[in-house]
Amino acid sequence: MDRVLEDFITTLRRSGVRISVSESLDAARALQLVSYDDRSLLKDSLYVALAKSVQEKEIFSDCFDRFFSFDFFSEPPPNEGSHKGSTEGLSDLSRMLMTGDQPGLVTYMKEAARAENLSDIRYQTQKSLYAMRILERMGLSGLDADIRDLYQAGAPSSAATAARLEEARSYLVENVRSYVEEQLLLFSGYEYDKMIEDYLRNIKLSNLEQRYYHQMQGIIQRMVKRLNDLYSRKRKPARRGHLDFKQTIRDNVAYQGFLFNPRWKKVKIEKPNVVAICDISRSVSRLVRFFLLFLYGLNKEIIQVRSFIFCSNLAEVTGIFEQYPIEEAVARIQAGTDIPVLLARTDYDRTLRDFKERYLDAVTHKTTVLFLGDARNNYNNPQTQILKLLSERCKKLIWLNPETKPFWGTGDSEMLRYAPYCHVLKECNTLNHLERVVQSLLKR
Amino acid sequence: MKQKKDEKFTSIRHIQEGFKKVGYITSRQTATTVYLAHHLEKPILVEGPAGVGKTELAKTIAAYLDLPMIRLQCYEGLDESKALYEWKYGKQLLYTQLLRDKLDSLVDREDSFSQSINKLHAYDDIFFSWHFLEPRPLLKALQEKDGTVLLIDEVDKADDEFEAFLLEVLSDFQVSIPEIGTVHAVTKPLVVLTSNNTRELSEALKRRCLHLFIPFPEPALEREIIRVRVPEIPSNLAAQLVSFIQAVRKMDIKKVPSISETIDWARVLLILHADSLSPDLVRDTLHIFIKYEEDIRVVEDQLHQLTANAARAF
Repeated sequence: MDRVLEDFITTLRRSGVRISVSESLDAARALQLVSYDDRSLLKDSLYVALAKSVQEKEIFSDCFDRFFSFDFFSEPPPNEGSHKGSTEGLSDLSRMLMTGDQPGLVTYMKEAARAENLSDIRYQTQKSLYAMRILERMGLSGLDADIRDLYQAGAPSSAATAARLEEARSYLVENVRSYVEEQLLLFSGYEYDKMIEDYLRNIKLSNLEQRYYHQMQGIIQRMVKRLNDLYSRKRKPARRGHLDFKQTIRDNVAYQGFLFNPRWKKVKIEKPNVVAICDISRSVSRLVRFFLLFLYGLNKEIIQVRSFIFCSNLAEVTGIFEQYPIEEAVARIQAGTDIPVLLARTDYDRTLRDFKERYLDAVTHKTTVLFLGDARNNYNNPQTQILKLLSERCKKLIWLNPETKPFWGTGDSEMLRYAPYCHVLKECNTLNHLERVVQSLLKR
Repeated sequence: MKQKKDEKFTSIRHIQEGFKKVGYITSRQTATTVYLAHHLEKPILVEGPAGVGKTELAKTIAAYLDLPMIRLQCYEGLDESKALYEWKYGKQLLYTQLLRDKLDSLVDREDSFSQSINKLHAYDDIFFSWHFLEPRPLLKALQEKDGTVLLIDEVDKADDEFEAFLLEVLSDFQVSIPEIGTVHAVTKPLVVLTSNNTRELSEALKRRCLHLFIPFPEPALEREIIRVRVPEIPSNLAAQLVSFIQAVRKMDIKKVPSISETIDWARVLLILHADSLSPDLVRDTLHIFIKYEEDIRVVEDQLHQLTANAARAF
């Protein structure tokens, strides 16, 4: 496969178009049929062979236009044609500049760029380095030598030529720079987005800056969509049953054994039934925010959630999620509007007692109870026996603690006392942690 | 035959003109895709809004090549037995009954059990042979001697499992029938798949196809389509009606009018002997290209504005 196509495909891949090997082979075969001569035909052909969805097609058009742009050196070099100096004894580059050989210069520049692996460029800071290297390879030093020699020659005509060359030199540098800039945009745009995303997925949520919230929500939406796709598909075949022979015979005894009313086997789909109890004191509130975005983003078809929040006391917030769209609901919970929760010191004693008195029937042997909190109880009674009761009653009790392990049990943290009653106890403070937890809920 | 087919695919312009002769006006993009599909022997996956002529494209290719078209309409629950082949159970049953009498003469009463089994083994597995096989569209398309155009319509409506099953057909032009073996295509058919984007198709399927997206046509192209499909229509009326439809497509309505509906409207206007658009005329014929009560109300509100703008188009 030729180098240009290869580079182009690399560019597309970097910009987020997924291209498999077989597709690039198709593109190469298509190229043999249409060749590079007709630009729009080339675009049409690669368009159908490489880009396979509407979004990809948009990216493709953009990349194609930039990649195959030839409008560098399009403005003629300064002073062109004003007087024809002799080009004898000059280097190739100088001669091209003197004669204004645009296609030659473009090809020359592209070859140099390829030899210097310009497609590896990633960061703003590398710009001058690459520009310099490309210029060097194009023969900048030869050009400089020409200028110097001409000045030293001393004749008036050669001085004029030297002055012209000097202007042409800055013209050359400018063009190469803008070319490098263009390529940087082309090669690094998507990469940068990906880097940010990786960073956001792994950053501790408590350290997250406000300005990333919006991006964060985008990432969560994508993660949630993936989980939804993955788990709703799995459930589908369960709905198609085979004939349940036993049941059919039993049901049709009444009709003298004629099989009148066939019965089908059904695989009963058990939705994970989750009770989430979240601490919204300041130390944990961010984690809760993103966790709830996650949990309520999931389809109602694949998960059933009741949620409670607490600080100094406990309140149920399931209703808020039914009334408002997710993002608004989360914002309301964070602000504490219309919710009977006291935002004073965290009190696990009162919280657990509240839960036992009012909501214990929400927990059955099918329920997974999720506790989100740092277990910092301000030296109140830890009420471990209530947690023990919950743990015995439910299917699984999962505790997610945003603090790192060494801090558990220090100061007023009751984590180590609660630990024996948790089926799963995990440190949880990044998006990736959250995703893993939610996935384990769905997988079972 | 092969040669004749290759002749029709010599150049993209050639295809475009050939399509025009059978009444299908196409953009260069579409023609290029068909050209590549033939030369690379790849299926075409066509996506785009409803009514832009995705299915029509397959019919046109068939008409252009003078080949039969085999159509497989996809729907939820479509499976192998409806798409690929089925055994003729009735015939098998009938033959078993007939052959039961024959069995006595084949097998002597004195033979031991293993001897009779051995005797029977000497005969072929007749019940699972081509005679008892009912080919369905996919198998038919592979067996066609002179090649064919296979249209797999609305593949997004079928289940994921069926999509996975299609992969073998699309990449190698072969299918496996457990009782018989692998069946290869006699002549590779030209495959066109269409999708309305009701769900995302799998990567694997997309990878095996050339992907063509047909959007709503540009005004010039749509005028050309009207001119070819409804040749009797006066050209200024055609221009007006296309510009009207294009304006309606930009409005915020539930279902935008498709090309086929534009053509229908043109035909209706022709029957009514209209020579230009007037608000009253449009109001009376609005339901031909707008199919929802709310949409009609939205368009009616701006009717005068729209007709006035359309009247300026030539």
